[in-house]
Amino acid sequence: MPRLTAMMPVRNEAGRYLEEVLENLLGYVDDIVILDDASTDATPDICRSFPRVILHRNPEPLFSLDESVLRETLWRLTVATEPSWILSVDADEMLEERMRQEAPALIGQDEYDCVEFRLFDFWGGRTHYRVDGGWNPWARRVRMLFRYRPGQVYTWPRQRLHCGRIPLEAREPLPVYQSDLRVMHLGWVRPEDARRKYEQYRERWSGPHLESVLDPPEKIRLEPWIPGKLLPY
Amino acid sequence: MAKGRVGVLTTYHVHEDGKRVIYGGAERYGIEFTRMLVEMEYDVTWWQIGSGWTQEVIPGVPLHSVPLREAAYQTCPSLNRAFFEQADRIDHAVYFSTLLAYPQAFERSIAISHGVYWDYPTWETIVPTERHRAEWRARWYAALNKPQKVVSCDTATIRFITATWPGLAEKLEYVPNFVNLEEFHPPDADAGRASVRVLLPRRLTAVRGINETLTAMERLLAAYPQLEFHLVGRGHSDHQERDMLRWAHEHPRAYYYWRPPHLMPHVYRNMDIVLIPSKAAEGTSLSCLEAMAVGRAVVAGCTGGLTDLILDGYNGLLLRPVTVRTLVEAIEALVTGPDLRRELGERAEATARAFGLDQWKERWRRVIERVFR
Repeated sequence: MPRLTAMMPVRNEAGRYLEEVLENLLGYVDDIVILDDASTDATPDICRSFPRVILHRNPEPLFSLDESVLRETLWRLTVATEPSWILSVDADEMLEERMRQEAPALIGQDEYDCVEFRLFDFWGGRTHYRVDGGWNPWARRVRMLFRYRPGQVYTWPRQRLHCGRIPLEAREPLPVYQSDLRVMHLGWVRPEDARRKYEQYRERWSGPHLESVLDPPEKIRLEPWIPGKLLPY
Repeated sequence: MAKGRVGVLTTYHVHEDGKRVIYGGAERYGIEFTRMLVEMEYDVTWWQIGSGWTQEVIPGVPLHSVPLREAAYQTCPSLNRAFFEQADRIDHAVYFSTLLAYPQAFERSIAISHGVYWDYPTWETIVPTERHRAEWRARWYAALNKPQKVVSCDTATIRFITATWPGLAEKLEYVPNFVNLEEFHPPDADAGRASVRVLLPRRLTAVRGINETLTAMERLLAAYPQLEFHLVGRGHSDHQERDMLRWAHEHPRAYYYWRPPHLMPHVYRNMDIVLIPSKAAEGTSLSCLEAMAVGRAVVAGCTGGLTDLILDGYNGLLLRPVTVRTLVEAIEALVTGPDLRRELGERAEATARAFGLDQWKERWRRVIERVFR
């Protein structure tokens, strides 16, 4: 059976979504490589409390200095587990329940080398996601799952922010499958988290998409989340 | 050392933005066709409409895109010319639909017809007057006449062409579509389920009968508590996929999803009745053949190449016309008639054995070896 490893950077995730994200992942991955970016809260203890978690810790935070160094470090630790496939996921992202049923068949094939998912940004709660402008989940797909090739050289762009969650070589035109399974992104659910993320990013990045985080309610378009159904076979 | 270089011209193998992947029958045909050419030791390159990006059809086989500047009467002269110029180093050409061979075609080339596509009512908006129809016929005749061979996946197209232009009869080859019999076969034992599962395994377009099917299934789901409905396929747009998800959410025992091609045998084996309710623009549907090979009872539209596969009441049910009423009647007969389901399914499975992938390759090889010599 192909071995599926999740890789995840974390920092100060206590009191947010880390437990349910790890619970969700353990339903379909073989192990979870976590790079803790010098958390100052109980995040490492939470990680250690779950089976099949391989935890590494940075003594000093890397993300705020250079995200690409953080991603590259996480990558090295992940490929050391000799995975067949890698799922790159954040501590506030969860694939819907059907992934438990379908993950083995999704990766146990030689037809395609990567899988793209639609990512839904939940907004102000867990009942609705945002659809205006660049938030529209129906028109964009995120490549999060890809086949790891041990002989391949993998590189990361030298970008201090938004260097991407997967290496450049996994972003190339590869045989791709666009899955109907949806990713729930919970990072914008709480207004205080949205404000904090906005402030963090604004130090190093600007643009209309970032500014739209602070849009007044009348400018924000939401759609209700449609719960998925588990298939009866 | 490759036997020769083959260029394949299509309109869309993936969406013209290069991002949205299409999992329809024509795309799967394109992939198997490419594999066959590679097995025959040809060096293959594809072209389609797009902004200039490059992808791959299968690993090692590039798919280039060129912008579409003009299209009329379903022909794409600028695409045809761009292919002619960009593919100047190829030895052989394949036009993945017949009208792409207009206005010029490579000397050693083959055009493929995937079935009659001008048999739906809105076709008249494309050719609204006799003058338009005459121009379309003239262009199509030219496109059929230029390649050395025209391969049709069904006999409906062949009959239309030979009745219209008897002089083209020698150019036409019948290579019906295929099913991989090693992958698509009945389960070892049918599950003793109380539920009866109905599957629509198509792209969700009006011409494939999606609107009639949804209304029919709303009625049937309400009437038969043992019924499940599985809608498995991509929509024609991102938002249609959202709407289908919502529709399935609102109806108990209705499911909307899609699966990669390698998992479709598993999907068919878990179903009882398969709907292929095409109203028009249909060839010898891959989905229909796959459902038959798995031994499922098929309800199909009486159109295009489906009549090459199904004899009504013998190895499936044919609907003429495809309406909510005819769909409800046919599905009801199968839901309440397990013996009918079994009989139709067994004969469908036997029929499908005449359409194996190996037979398809052999038929194609004979054509290719004559044209690409």
